[in-house]
Amino acid sequence: MTEYLLRRVFYTLLTIFAVATVLFFVFRLLPGDPTMQVISPAMDPAVQARMKAAFGLDQPLWIQYGVYLKNLITLEWGRSFVSSQPVIEILEYRFWNTLLLMSAGMAFTLAIGISIGIIMAWWRNGVIDVVGTVSSLIFQAAPPFVTGLLLLMLLSYNLGLFPTGGMYPPGQRPDGVLGLIMMPEFWHRIILPTLTVSLYYITTPMLVMRDSMLEILGSDYIELAKAKGLRPSRVMIKHAARNALLAVVTLGSIMVGFAIGGQVVVESLFSWPGMGQLMVEAAASHDYPVAQGTFLTLAILVITLNLLTDVLYCYLDPRIQVSKKGMAT
Amino acid sequence: MSAEISRRKFLKVASSAGAAIAAVPYANLAFSAAKPVEPMTLLTANASFDPVRPEMGRLISQAMKQIGWDVSLAAEDYNMGIDKVFKQKDFDMFIVRWTGRANRVDPETFTRMMFHRDGNYNKWGYDNSLVNELGDAQQKEMDVSKRREIVQEMQTVLFEDAAASPIVHPSMTNAYRSDKLDGLVPQLGEGIGSLWSDLNMTTKAADGYVRNGQTSALKNLNPVSVTDSNEFKELRTIYDRLIQVGPNGDLVPWAATSIKAVDNTTVDITLREGMRFHDGKPVTIEDVKFTFDYCKQWEAPFFISSLKKFQEIAITGKNTMRIKLSEPHAPLMINFFAQIFILPKHVWENIPGSSGVDDVLNYDNPNPIGSGPFKFDYWDRGKELKVSAFQDHFSAPKCAGMIRITYGSHDAMAAAIEAGECDRTRYILKPNLVQDLDKINGVVGKGYASHGWYGFMFNHLRGPFQDRAFRQAVDHLVPRDVIRQVIMTGFATNGGSTIAPANEYWHNASITPRANNVKMAKDILTKAGYTWDSAGKLHYPA
Repeated sequence: MTEYLLRRVFYTLLTIFAVATVLFFVFRLLPGDPTMQVISPAMDPAVQARMKAAFGLDQPLWIQYGVYLKNLITLEWGRSFVSSQPVIEILEYRFWNTLLLMSAGMAFTLAIGISIGIIMAWWRNGVIDVVGTVSSLIFQAAPPFVTGLLLLMLLSYNLGLFPTGGMYPPGQRPDGVLGLIMMPEFWHRIILPTLTVSLYYITTPMLVMRDSMLEILGSDYIELAKAKGLRPSRVMIKHAARNALLAVVTLGSIMVGFAIGGQVVVESLFSWPGMGQLMVEAAASHDYPVAQGTFLTLAILVITLNLLTDVLYCYLDPRIQVSKKGMAT
Repeated sequence: MSAEISRRKFLKVASSAGAAIAAVPYANLAFSAAKPVEPMTLLTANASFDPVRPEMGRLISQAMKQIGWDVSLAAEDYNMGIDKVFKQKDFDMFIVRWTGRANRVDPETFTRMMFHRDGNYNKWGYDNSLVNELGDAQQKEMDVSKRREIVQEMQTVLFEDAAASPIVHPSMTNAYRSDKLDGLVPQLGEGIGSLWSDLNMTTKAADGYVRNGQTSALKNLNPVSVTDSNEFKELRTIYDRLIQVGPNGDLVPWAATSIKAVDNTTVDITLREGMRFHDGKPVTIEDVKFTFDYCKQWEAPFFISSLKKFQEIAITGKNTMRIKLSEPHAPLMINFFAQIFILPKHVWENIPGSSGVDDVLNYDNPNPIGSGPFKFDYWDRGKELKVSAFQDHFSAPKCAGMIRITYGSHDAMAAAIEAGECDRTRYILKPNLVQDLDKINGVVGKGYASHGWYGFMFNHLRGPFQDRAFRQAVDHLVPRDVIRQVIMTGFATNGGSTIAPANEYWHNASITPRANNVKMAKDILTKAGYTWDSAGKLHYPA
């Protein structure tokens, strides 16, 4: 098991290094000059050169790459070309904002999706099953920017039930993350983006749970449990749903990966200052340090979650064995 | 054309241009042996950056077909477009919005910088010896009325030469909650987002703070590295300047009670007495001198070209200083003295020092301390900036403070105004949204005068644009009335001179925009020797 873990950690680090390298070169291959974002193109060429030197862009590419790798390891990720703020500081603030939104979205998605999936399977071909299947496919077909915009138009612009965006009322900046989540206004504002995320992603856990449940409900031990005279709710929850959950756990990390990508749209739509919004801003303004930092952080998050899922899976499913070569089989 | 142009006519113009070739009356001219005018590409920013530009581009490119010339439209990412034009100089023509920034009230930008052979903006290869001569002369002429005469002549030359084609002068389309705000003072080119509004507006909000909306995120609050108008707008509330550009574009004494040109190369400055920085320390003439020296030492991008002309800076009294220039430079007043921010020496002399950076341009200035009318409270990057009134200022604001909120889009900002979450747009709001908002009770949506313009710019080094007659003909094809009335929903005036009529002092009123007249365009081309083949395609003069 230890050998398996070490091997997986090594592969994870190797993947992160590859991603970091790709990111470095991809942003530099993009057409456009980062200094153009910061100073007017009409400025004296000497001023342009001065800005390049300040950003370290006057160095040959291989030197820039060397500095980048060194900074990566020492967690000194440089400063934004645009705001001059340390990248780590920017990421720290934005990361929590995204994490809050994503956690709320994923928690809601999983809780509702799994519950409905159980009900759909238990009363297969019933009204809930049919309506649930059709509506989930409709929601998945509708991209978040459409759903979000419709929700905004209906519940915010027309009915005035929710604010148009932001994390807290203007001028009332809370003191830290704890202060933010203690604010009733924050919870009021997170509802619409959470709903947007959930409506898009709910299909996966719902249908996976339904299928997994249907498979398990046909098992002998379920028949046995029913024959023993156990209450149907007990059979459904304790015997069937618990085992069916394993498939959803596997999907968890994949869903989080997709959800992170989805934040770009949702955060822009609801003026939510998170990583997604930052990705768009940084990429558009050729802010290499911030763009690299943002993409890399999210890549690290997804890769690490995949690692954790693999490890967790070994523990959750005793049928999975680790071979002598350190491979899970 | 004074009649209103209907949507129907707009659609007709847009859709029928393809068929217009068939209607070319000169199509039956004898076929010329000369080569056909090559098809070209019109570059614009894409709709997500500016919804107006691709629409203008579509109309203009279609209009060119009326003379038998094929023009295709390329609506590209703004950054890539900028790169193509300003770095690679690889373009045929492009559409740009020259915003009416306060410093552009001075004619330097829209004349010399754009059209002088050595002008920093002139990436389009325009080279006219008379324009070069006039451009240099106006820059060195310190007598304002004499300078005005030169600038007026320069506008005439540029117009006759069709150096560029100003499409329209758009208004600053803004909206505000009239049930909450009072006392807004619009400024030329800035609308109600002006400093004069910041200072004079009052609000009925319980906390006394005005909520300003803007769609572009604030990037930086470093007064040394600043170059962007977004940042200038916020920094000018926290830091004082020596003079300010007033509501009508005139200069207003500010931290300096006087800036006097003793002769063509000597400027005397007298600093206002009794000013204080937000941390309580007094503002002295030493701070002003330090600011100049510091910005020169660190080559502050926006100010360095002006500072290079400073030969000597000497403190001459308790509140006075004298600057000796290496050569006369008329735009200095607006482009430098009305832009540079007075830095507190006791703060900035330690920067970079222990600030963790080795270059001031990389300093993020997390807690700006100035002497301006507003004190910095906090900046929640990506979301909002909060500043509060500095009651010890000589021109203290009438509101308790301002909160700058970044919205994801124009639509989101308009919705926030409608919902009462935002009190005022700080910058441009899409014209159609302004029109819609104006219909709502308690909201005013309006266009305010601006000296900016949408420009149809030509690459003078390429193909037919080297020929003045061709440029004039092309200028006659720009459907200005349709663009003004349909795309700009009436919030604009037709473009003629590069200096807008709103900039009354410098504008040459004798210039009237070229009429949208296909026949006139063809007459000019015919006279210049252009011909059309049997398919109606335009050919160069033989």
